[in-house]
Amino acid sequence: MEISRRRMLQVGMLGMAGATTGALTACGSSSTTSSSTKSESLSLWYWGGGLSDKVVEAAITQFPNAKLKTQKIDGDFRQKLVTTIAAGKFVPDITGIKGEDIASILPNANKFVDLNTLGADKLASQYLPWKWKQGSTSDGKLIGFPIDIGPTGMFYRKDMFAKAGLPTEPAEVGALVATWDGYFEVGAKIQKAYPKSFLINNIGSIFQMIVGQGTKRFIDESNHFIGDQDHIRTAWDTAVKAMTLGVDAKINDESWKQAIGNGTLATEIGAAWHALDLSDAAPDTAGKWRVAANPGGPANIGGSFLAIPKASTDPKTAFQILTWILDPQNQAKGFTDAALFPSSPATYKMPALTSGDAFFGGQVTIDVFSPQAEKIPIAYEAPADAAVSAPYFSALSGLETSAKNADAAWADAVSQAKQIAQRQGVS
Amino acid sequence: MPAAPRGGTRARPGRIRRIWSFWPQYLAIAPFFVIFGVFMLGPVLFSLYLAFHRWDGLGDIQYVGLQQFRFLVKDPTFWLSLKNTLIIWVLSTVPMLLLALVLAAMLNAALRLSSFYRLAYFVPNVTSLVAISIFFFAVFSQFGLVNAVMHGLHLPLIGWLSNTWAIKIVIALLMSWQWTGYNAIIYLAGLQAIPTDLYEAAKIDGAGPIQIFWRITIPLLRPVILFTVVISTVTGMQSFTEPQILFGSNASINPNSGGPGQAGLTMILYFYHQAFDVHDYGYGAAIAWSAFLVILVFAVINWRIVARHED
Repeated sequence: MEISRRRMLQVGMLGMAGATTGALTACGSSSTTSSSTKSESLSLWYWGGGLSDKVVEAAITQFPNAKLKTQKIDGDFRQKLVTTIAAGKFVPDITGIKGEDIASILPNANKFVDLNTLGADKLASQYLPWKWKQGSTSDGKLIGFPIDIGPTGMFYRKDMFAKAGLPTEPAEVGALVATWDGYFEVGAKIQKAYPKSFLINNIGSIFQMIVGQGTKRFIDESNHFIGDQDHIRTAWDTAVKAMTLGVDAKINDESWKQAIGNGTLATEIGAAWHALDLSDAAPDTAGKWRVAANPGGPANIGGSFLAIPKASTDPKTAFQILTWILDPQNQAKGFTDAALFPSSPATYKMPALTSGDAFFGGQVTIDVFSPQAEKIPIAYEAPADAAVSAPYFSALSGLETSAKNADAAWADAVSQAKQIAQRQGVS
Repeated sequence: MPAAPRGGTRARPGRIRRIWSFWPQYLAIAPFFVIFGVFMLGPVLFSLYLAFHRWDGLGDIQYVGLQQFRFLVKDPTFWLSLKNTLIIWVLSTVPMLLLALVLAAMLNAALRLSSFYRLAYFVPNVTSLVAISIFFFAVFSQFGLVNAVMHGLHLPLIGWLSNTWAIKIVIALLMSWQWTGYNAIIYLAGLQAIPTDLYEAAKIDGAGPIQIFWRITIPLLRPVILFTVVISTVTGMQSFTEPQILFGSNASINPNSGGPGQAGLTMILYFYHQAFDVHDYGYGAAIAWSAFLVILVFAVINWRIVARHED
């Protein structure tokens, strides 16, 4: 007993010593980061598929003095970035920002370096203007430097179109589905040939697409709620129409992966990067798919940015690395490696993009996407936009599962969106 | 007047010395309290502070008084989430505890392989909830195993993950599957603590097995049942991971909204959605504290109901 008590004391002392040294090292490291101006190494945060891994590796050898350390962050990227910036320690020198997060991060522009002060404004002409604007604050500070964009298209099963007696070549199909009504008629014809198949996975995707095709969203530039106006109502009505016509598969979960593979879905509407989801979900259908211009005109879904947090120890070098990773040459590599659709139009003419895609039967998909990319409408996306839009999507998926009246669902969605807007400080 | 402080100063060094003499013991229990304080108590108090503020996680924290709670009372989605939580809780807890009791009685009677059975029933509880949810998703999805069997039996197919009620049943099933074994093990421990001479005496007096179960087993098991009911209330009403994984959806639009028609939106999932998807930490904190109050009320009600029978 005597020995065990002494032993315990020793362990206790060790523990205390450990705690003290831990505290001392913590103090030491915090004082060095705050006082020293020389940086030992730069860090880059991105998520899997957010940048081309090959380009990132090349950047490490390209800038040996920067001693670039890269880190792939899994899970909720925004959450981890925001927490780290708020804590103020171990903040990356360069970080990715996802397309859906940029609008809600812009109000905190003071936590990031205005890239225009580092000379980004001289590079602006190389990138798509609407994308550049997305990464800028209303007073012209550039926070997010464009990585990729998400121009949209209609993916379709060529074999199913052929059996339904529809045209099969992308140009003809694109003309056929130029309007939403034209698209829905295609659905009716598909269902004659394939009674168990549907045109589209759910009506939320139609609503999202139509809102993205407009120049106004849910909140206007003077911070007013406009989600009850005609442009949203039209998108809603068109989406609901697909359901009443019976061309909607009403799939709101991961089972669309099976639906893609087994011919339940004849088409999908989505961004260029959605091609990767299709080939992942249904590799056996390779060669049967084609892509045509989207019903209703061009829109953008997703596409990310790189930013430099204020806490960066060496923003100048960080900016050099950032612009190198995202220059038009490397954007071509990003397209080949990670299906990142370039945000620099000069890249569209490079061989990496003009070669055919085997999943699409050798189709040169850039022919469909690049004319769209340059015509994407510029819409103001308020910080609270995603939050305010949520009730509409919930209501649409609710309509698909219950026999609720569409007008009542609209009224509920609008009143909920108004409340969320109010909570988020929108007038 | 000067006498009182002098008396105080005289007493204090003695007390401090006495406390100091126990320093190894205090040191030994310190890690728990330090970790609890930093990772539990601190965030809990901060969330209470946040419930009266507006914060997007990065910018300035703005005091708004009771406004978040005023929003909450008028928010139909919150009431929907409360309704969903209660339905899922009843659907899972009632069959789960009854089944656990039956299992425990069977385990108690098992003569062979008893530790194997005990282990087997406890395995679901230590299995990763994410893995279970993914498995359940595969089984219940539109083209999953359950619908394949129903198709084979010429039964009408059910959209297990799209029908408002089916969604709740699937979540409740998942929770029951995970927690039945745990509760059965707890009941088993309670059963084994009942002295055998009571059973022997009852048998001699001519009581049948059913009578023995209702007159001896259940009354003596009451404290254990009380424990499982309260624990099931607290865990069951905090269901989050199950609907989050089942209906998380990899879409960037409207994530974690609880599936079609928001039928799987529980209180904790709604809190998570508001705080981490919508970046409204103040409102999220207000939902979390309201959920705490609701759970507290139900835990107390359950405790009163089960405990009352004791007199």
